[in-house]
Amino acid sequence: MKITINNKEIECQPNKTILEVAKENDIEIPTLCYQEGFEARAVCRICLVEVDNKLLPSCSTKAKEGMVISTESKKVLEARKINTELLMSKHIQSCFVESKEHELCKIAKNVGIRQAKFDSNKKTYIVDKGIAIVTDNNQCILCGRCVQACQMQNVNAIDFAYRSYHTKVTPAYENKLDDSVCVNCGQCLLACPVNAIYEKDDTKEVLKALKSKKHVIVQTAPAVRASLGEEFDLPAGTLVTGKMVSSLRKIGFKKIFDTQFGADLTIMEEAAELIKRLKENKNLPMITSCCPAWIKYIEHFYPEFLNHVSTCKSPHDMFGAIAKSYYKDKYKINKKDLVVVSVMPCTAKKFEIQRKEMKKEVDYVLTTRELARLIKIKKIDFNNLADEDFDAALGLSSGAGTIFGASGGVMEAALRTAYETATGKKLEMLEFNQIRGMSDFKEGSIIINGKTVNFAVVNGLHNAKEVLEQIKNKECKYDFIEVMACPGGCIAGGGQPIPTNKEIVEKRMQALYINDKNNTIRRSHENPAIIQLYEEFLGRPLSKKAEKLLHTNYIKRGI
Amino acid sequence: MQILKNSNFRALSKIAGMKPEEVIELVKKSGLSGRGGANFPTGLKLEFTRSSQGEKYVIANADEGEPGTFKDKLILEKNPNNVIEGMIIAGYAIGSSKGYLYLRGEYSYLKNKLQKVINNAKKIADKLKIYFDIEIISGAGAYICGDETAIIESVEGKRGNPRLKPPFPANQGLFNKPTLINNVETLANLPLIILDKSWNNSFRLFSLSGNITKPGVYELESGASLKKLINLGKPKNKIKAVYFGCSGGCLPYEDIALNNEAVKEKGAMLGSCAIIAVDEKHNIVDVATNIAKFFEYESCGKCTPCREGTMRVLELLEKISLKKAANEDLELLEELCRVINETSLCGLGQSSTAHITTALKYFRKEFTDKLK
Ligand code: SF4
Ligand code: SF4
Ligand code: SF4
Ligand code: FES
Repeated sequence: MKITINNKEIECQPNKTILEVAKENDIEIPTLCYQEGFEARAVCRICLVEVDNKLLPSCSTKAKEGMVISTESKKVLEARKINTELLMSKHIQSCFVESKEHELCKIAKNVGIRQAKFDSNKKTYIVDKGIAIVTDNNQCILCGRCVQACQMQNVNAIDFAYRSYHTKVTPAYENKLDDSVCVNCGQCLLACPVNAIYEKDDTKEVLKALKSKKHVIVQTAPAVRASLGEEFDLPAGTLVTGKMVSSLRKIGFKKIFDTQFGADLTIMEEAAELIKRLKENKNLPMITSCCPAWIKYIEHFYPEFLNHVSTCKSPHDMFGAIAKSYYKDKYKINKKDLVVVSVMPCTAKKFEIQRKEMKKEVDYVLTTRELARLIKIKKIDFNNLADEDFDAALGLSSGAGTIFGASGGVMEAALRTAYETATGKKLEMLEFNQIRGMSDFKEGSIIINGKTVNFAVVNGLHNAKEVLEQIKNKECKYDFIEVMACPGGCIAGGGQPIPTNKEIVEKRMQALYINDKNNTIRRSHENPAIIQLYEEFLGRPLSKKAEKLLHTNYIKRGI
Repeated sequence: MQILKNSNFRALSKIAGMKPEEVIELVKKSGLSGRGGANFPTGLKLEFTRSSQGEKYVIANADEGEPGTFKDKLILEKNPNNVIEGMIIAGYAIGSSKGYLYLRGEYSYLKNKLQKVINNAKKIADKLKIYFDIEIISGAGAYICGDETAIIESVEGKRGNPRLKPPFPANQGLFNKPTLINNVETLANLPLIILDKSWNNSFRLFSLSGNITKPGVYELESGASLKKLINLGKPKNKIKAVYFGCSGGCLPYEDIALNNEAVKEKGAMLGSCAIIAVDEKHNIVDVATNIAKFFEYESCGKCTPCREGTMRVLELLEKISLKKAANEDLELLEELCRVINETSLCGLGQSSTAHITTALKYFRKEFTDKLK
């Protein structure tokens, strides 16, 4: 069918919104409340276009045969400007601009706002400073993207309350987020166009520790190296492992280690646990435990199935436990003096480290964004850094550890090791392509010692309910299930650079798989540092010592 | 009053012998149109909803919230039988067996009485093999819940916010099923149409209030003169302006015909036939400020222009009242009103500035007199 946009005739498919058609034809219409992959709420009224003398939101209006549309008529521009003014006056009061300008600021600049026309916000709110997530209603422009994101996660921790300009986004009963069912996944903050939700900042604490006489070591998660570059304007999917390591050295960390070492360790324990459960036919399906947001989700919503969850701590916490035992003893460091910092793509890890069960094995979690902030505070010219390597031993890892960062990666890594250690045979094909990629739900099966093991990968929390209901109804055919809360896995975590969208996530994912492919060690059980750790210290997977240090238990939280 | 003639469920026995299509035809012929303010032909609405597939619902909109409107209250108090009977007739016509009566929070004192009527109606309908259940849902005092899609959200147990249209309720309404939503007065007329060949479509109920001594509901023919109505209200002082509720805007008091076309031609909207008279003792800026407070308070908060805009409109009007405003403030007010009207998501926001636009058209001097 044909429509006309800005005097240009355009051929388009039926059943598309004006915004979609405009986008396909490189006609830019600014949007604020609209986010791809979600139903248009059409509330910000920024994406206006003029049709028949009427102003319509292009994000929710379907293009119709013969429509004559203007995206930049005087009427459009005037109305867009007023609506932007209205939002700016609600927001501006306490706006802090991150390294990158946020979406509203950009729009304001484009429509030519230099000074706010209306007085600043009439209402002020107390900022909710959570353990992992901070919400500042003073900056919120009520676009609803966070609410949609949280609905998408099937958590529904936040929603609108009150009406008129008293409207606010809040957990039920205006409780604090920490007292709600929020799982700290941070998907809401990735969705927010104005930074009204952000991670609890720990850079100051870390800088303080670095200034002290303490022995401060750092570990970095696999997903960070695939995204940190974006904070320095490198294209998505650029691996910056070497530069990341050298910047961390410059910042002043004593040792730079790799959480992938922890991931390899997790695989050793988890694969052994799986084989044990398969043998005993107990607590099956086993479900992975490396995502703290997922853990809090099941603790709240399905506590009756916590026995299915692997008891393994998450990789960075395993690392922390080893650092504060094996490493501390080996290098004769005073317990008081050892500080472990994790750089993670994830906000939920901030919550995880203060769980009682974790015994403060990791002292601080910095997100990818916070690390970028540190690098900028220290005025390090990131893009011109020479590549450097992780420190020995706890910095050595396999390709299996790398792919932990992507949805399906934990499963793939675990299967490589479970198969080979249980059968004593080598896998001919290391790649499990059926569980890679961005689909919501992925599955497959493998025969281990004559027994078929069915496995599944749940990509994003919103798909978890289905398998949990299967378990409830005793209809679950799987033996082993991976769940990652963030859609795409940790590379799409709440601590990652903004924007994080599907396109960018796919590029980051690609980078991790290439990294795995190029690694000479691709199986966790072949990582010599891991072998050495078991020989010198832990004995074997699931040994008493391993159980004590590397495994944990959970809390029945309920709702 | 025609509307207060108690049909006493006699229309039910009559429709029991009719096909639903015949009922719809009768309503179409009668010329009845929505009395909530939108004036959509009721027969057509029935037909549309009937032609949608699957399970369907009927909702009676008894959330009469427009300031100055109280005609539905009168009907619910004095002739509830017709309302309930009207719901059952509507259900029969569209092929639905479940209805909800969405009762304004402030009218909850009527709940027990209405429940009795429902129970009684059910017995009679069951005997006629017309199966229809009605549930009363209480509103919680939000003006926005007079909007049909906000009612739907509210009945579903959600926050009372309007939905985007399309989809329209006739296709996808309550629980995403085809839904017929009608105002109390519209429904109460249905049994009368079925029973009475002499039923007169031109009667309207006018809710009259303001600076008069005899406020109340008056039944007049559509197109009756405004003067006649105001005189029935016996004003003490000279009337200067009339407001059509809060959302219909205002006109200077002169003798015009009270029908949609005549009022619209002057730039206002007759809507649900609420007339608020304002006498010479009152300043229009004060009235405007008062109405602006109402909208600022009642905006549901969903979309930018209405949520933020109504608050800024009030701010500007207060500034004018306090004689602190300059001409550019007035210009900003006008621009803001235009954008709120043109870009708000639902009818509430869109109509929230009509009272200012019309006041500035007819009583501009009262505003400019207050500029600094
Ligand atoms: S962090 Fe996750 S669970 Fe918590 S409010 Fe945000 S989206 Fe919801
Ligand atoms: S917190 Fe951010 S995403 Fe959520 S409604 Fe406010 S501005 Fe939108
Ligand atoms: S116009 Fe917007 S804010 Fe106002 S009531 Fe409608 S949806 Fe709510
Ligand atoms: S992006 Fe269309 S109304 Fe917000």
